[in-house]
Amino acid sequence: MRTERVREVVSHVVLMLGVLVSLFPFYWMLVMASNTTPDIFTYPPKLVLGSHLWENMGNVLDNIDFFGAMLLTLLASLGVTVLVLFFDSLAAFAFAKYEFPGRNLLFGILLVTFMIPSQLALVPQFVTLAEFGWIGSLKALIIPGAANAFGIFWMRQYAKGAIPDELISAAKVDGAGFFRQYLTVGLPVLRPGLAFLGIFTFINVWNDYLWPLIVMTDPNRLTLQVALQQLNGVYGTDYSMVMAGALMSVIPLIGVFIIGGRHFIADIAAGAMKF
Amino acid sequence: MAVSDALRPTATVSTTQDTDPSKRPNRFRQALPQYAAVSPFFVLFAIFGAFPVFFSIWLSFHSWDGIGQMTWVGLEQYSYLLTDPTFWKSITNTLIIWVISTVPMLLLALIIANALHNATRFRSFYRIAYFIPNITSVVAVTMVFGSIFSNNFGLLNAFMTSVGLDKIEWLSQPWGIKVAIATIVAWRWTGYNAIIFLAGLQAISSDIYEAAKVDGASPRQQFWQITVPLLRPVILFTTVTSTIGGLQIFTESQVLFGSSGAIGGPGDGGLTIVSYLYDNAFGSNQFGYGAAIGWALFVLIVLFSIINWRLIGGSDDERLTKRAARRVQRKIAAEQTAAGTAGKESTDAH
Amino acid sequence: MTLTRRKFLALTAGGAAAASGLTGCGSRSSLGAPDELSLWAWTGSVNDDLVAQAAQGIPGAPGKKISLTRIGGDYKTKLLTSLAGKSLVPDIVGLNDDVATYFPNADQFLDLHELGADKFKGDFLEWKWKLGITPENRMMAYPMDTGPTALFYRRDVFEKAGLPTEPADVAAAAPEWDDFIALGKKLKQAVPGSAITDNITSLYQYALAQLPKRYMTPDGAYIGDGDHIKQAWDLAVRVVKEGLSANAQDGSTDANAVVTNGRLVAFVGAVWWAQLGPKNAAPKTKGLWRVTPAPGGPGNRGGSFLAITKYCKDPEAAFAFITWLESAKNQAQSFLDPVLFPSTPASYDDPRMTGPDPFFGGQRIVDVFADSAKKYPGTYFSPYDSIIGDPIKAELVNIEIGSKTSEQAWRDAQKLVDRELTRVGAI
Repeated sequence: MRTERVREVVSHVVLMLGVLVSLFPFYWMLVMASNTTPDIFTYPPKLVLGSHLWENMGNVLDNIDFFGAMLLTLLASLGVTVLVLFFDSLAAFAFAKYEFPGRNLLFGILLVTFMIPSQLALVPQFVTLAEFGWIGSLKALIIPGAANAFGIFWMRQYAKGAIPDELISAAKVDGAGFFRQYLTVGLPVLRPGLAFLGIFTFINVWNDYLWPLIVMTDPNRLTLQVALQQLNGVYGTDYSMVMAGALMSVIPLIGVFIIGGRHFIADIAAGAMKF
Repeated sequence: MAVSDALRPTATVSTTQDTDPSKRPNRFRQALPQYAAVSPFFVLFAIFGAFPVFFSIWLSFHSWDGIGQMTWVGLEQYSYLLTDPTFWKSITNTLIIWVISTVPMLLLALIIANALHNATRFRSFYRIAYFIPNITSVVAVTMVFGSIFSNNFGLLNAFMTSVGLDKIEWLSQPWGIKVAIATIVAWRWTGYNAIIFLAGLQAISSDIYEAAKVDGASPRQQFWQITVPLLRPVILFTTVTSTIGGLQIFTESQVLFGSSGAIGGPGDGGLTIVSYLYDNAFGSNQFGYGAAIGWALFVLIVLFSIINWRLIGGSDDERLTKRAARRVQRKIAAEQTAAGTAGKESTDAH
Repeated sequence: MTLTRRKFLALTAGGAAAASGLTGCGSRSSLGAPDELSLWAWTGSVNDDLVAQAAQGIPGAPGKKISLTRIGGDYKTKLLTSLAGKSLVPDIVGLNDDVATYFPNADQFLDLHELGADKFKGDFLEWKWKLGITPENRMMAYPMDTGPTALFYRRDVFEKAGLPTEPADVAAAAPEWDDFIALGKKLKQAVPGSAITDNITSLYQYALAQLPKRYMTPDGAYIGDGDHIKQAWDLAVRVVKEGLSANAQDGSTDANAVVTNGRLVAFVGAVWWAQLGPKNAAPKTKGLWRVTPAPGGPGNRGGSFLAITKYCKDPEAAFAFITWLESAKNQAQSFLDPVLFPSTPASYDDPRMTGPDPFFGGQRIVDVFADSAKKYPGTYFSPYDSIIGDPIKAELVNIEIGSKTSEQAWRDAQKLVDRELTRVGAI
């Protein structure tokens, strides 16, 4: 029993050290965001919180359209998430629960598309969107990512086990068509899976950088990440203001995550075990 | 939208008839709702995935700035690419960053997972604390680390001076830049990998450990001789994901150096393959060349996928045979009209 | 060739999109509301009050307004990407002194000759006016400011080091770069850590900015391997070898930090650096800075242009705006903030320019810069200057960070330039 205790204590020491490393950058971000730039650039550096946080955050709002960028990012993230949840779960439902000619072939193709790195066709994707006249618009952020192979693959795995065949048969007997079956039988059962896929998609779109960097050419309509980098890139910039911006940009997602993250983490781990 | 319009009429079709697999042409008509259901992905992929891929082949044979006229140059982009030292540098940089981030990251993750496994209290606190770096945007994280590694006034240098070491100009040295980028990558992904390892650890039956204890194995022996081998599939999963992620590193160097005009930083020390692509395609508006680099990246990823696949295939024959068996089962089930496969896989589906 | 591309795209992309019903109506308009002309410029390139005035209504174009967007980061990349993106392109854009690199795409901009630019020609410095005109005599860009160079220095630090402190004396003590380096060494002895340039490329570019020729001759011969370039190169290397560079690369956090923290105590810079450098990064040093003629003679670095894109909603209104903004009167106002140096000589006698600047201890800095601007010989910028300059600068950085010797870096730079020029068919 004593060795158990010792092991527990040692584990906690290791874990707390890790937590410190994990969370320190956030503290440091807060320190920089709450001091003035000259304070940051001194030696020895200030390690305690300052009193300029509001001022720095105000400067962020003066320099970039922070809430505009946040709204745009929110719209893009929500837009993609809603479409992905709908399209992916619908396709997954069909793949998991129905027989149709070419099903395996189509699913095989879907898996192959996994292999293609998204950067392969970066340039022609841009050119294609330019021909559509979509560059700079929200469409460019939402439509190309509105359905994805990962989500369909993942939801299919989930649907296979979660949706009892009897329910579908019963719905068929009641005269429900495929889409009704999806709505009344599929969706309710898939809800936990959708929650995971939703958070996953939302976080990915929210944090995406390369694609919005390329397609959002109007500097007044940037996503949060790109706007943040713009704030950072302006020569002669105010460093504590940049950090205040960084802080403001990470808070919403961390907040959401702390509230709803526990199941999400469990699902991520479970997903990895299945590969 | 187009999709729901397509669904409505066909949905009624499927309700009117009963299943009769012997009528061949009917099978397709009957399946129209399902085709409609899976079509959004395929349509979107055709427009934004498949078409650009083929277009990029054509594009890579041209010289084009995206604005003016296109000129046919044949294979010139590719010959320039293969003889461009900067391109090869971007590959070695990417691989070095990948190695110096992945190796310590996986080791640390293993240690943390082990500690998490042993600790019985505060588990959900730890999980959240370790996972938060992963959901934080790379842009914000890179800015913070950029200030930590800053040459003249960075926290790290201040710390080193205070303990009597010499300052290091991290962000001016090609290797220092790589260390900084690798640190960012490792910081973001260690917790994620630890949580996946933890799931792997929890799947190992405690009987094995009990048996080992009876045989008198020390904790260290248990770790290296039971835990690590049994975790191998999970370790391989994390290796595969970090390979794919590692080959696509971009944001870190772009945020650190993007506004300096030289995206790779001093000595191109932080120039990765994707940042080389971005810089040529969208920094210098060489769209044809950008398309060619995309193909080089594709070849690399395929190459590494084959290596990874070999590793998994070679080490885990049992899994492969199981998978093959499942495939056969599925086929048989598919031939019978009843939905037989679902029950079979329900155990591992969630 | 364009036809082939169009056909290809129309057949495939357009076809696929139409079939799926996803294609929107292709918008080919410029940015902003119908009565608004969008203007892109980078930070510190226009006077805020004047733009605010034009945002209410453009003088001479009733009912039209200007909407300014400041672009951070890599401006040129963003502009070219926007042009390639074909939608939401701004109406009016600022272009830097690399204006010639846009000449191959001059058809993306309106010819200002046709809008009647010539009647303003006489108001401007002749060399500046010429820089915006393509070899095909298309006037693509209209002059904004110029970037005369001078030596900025910290009077207090010079005093501490026992060096001359008054502008005239400092200029007399360092007429040539050699003298300036000697001065720098004394500074460093007295105040350890002192630097006379933020980094190697800065110094190189300011040395280059004093020369009457750059990388190519007007008839297209490459001269970037010539003695004049090598001398500027060697000079920059020498400053680094003497330990007089702060090694704070452009765009890094350190680039501002070295000004904020007083490491950079003397610096040959262009006039606009007054704002972007000390005024922004070290407001506490107000009163401590002085300006004097630079070692090595007068020079010009930077100084911008305005161009009207072919997407412009209302070319006449846009032209009315740029001629109003760049009038001698308004250029004088832009000198006060953000220290843009007029390209219209009539501004130099404007009382707003000749006043004392408290940031420079009440010095009349206009005298120093006007002198530099008037004596500056002018130079030729080729469309290829960026693709030549970039590898040269990158190799210089390699020397500063110690990863290459000067000889090797020079060889590699020339090799890279040769490859790039061959690739674009320039040589």
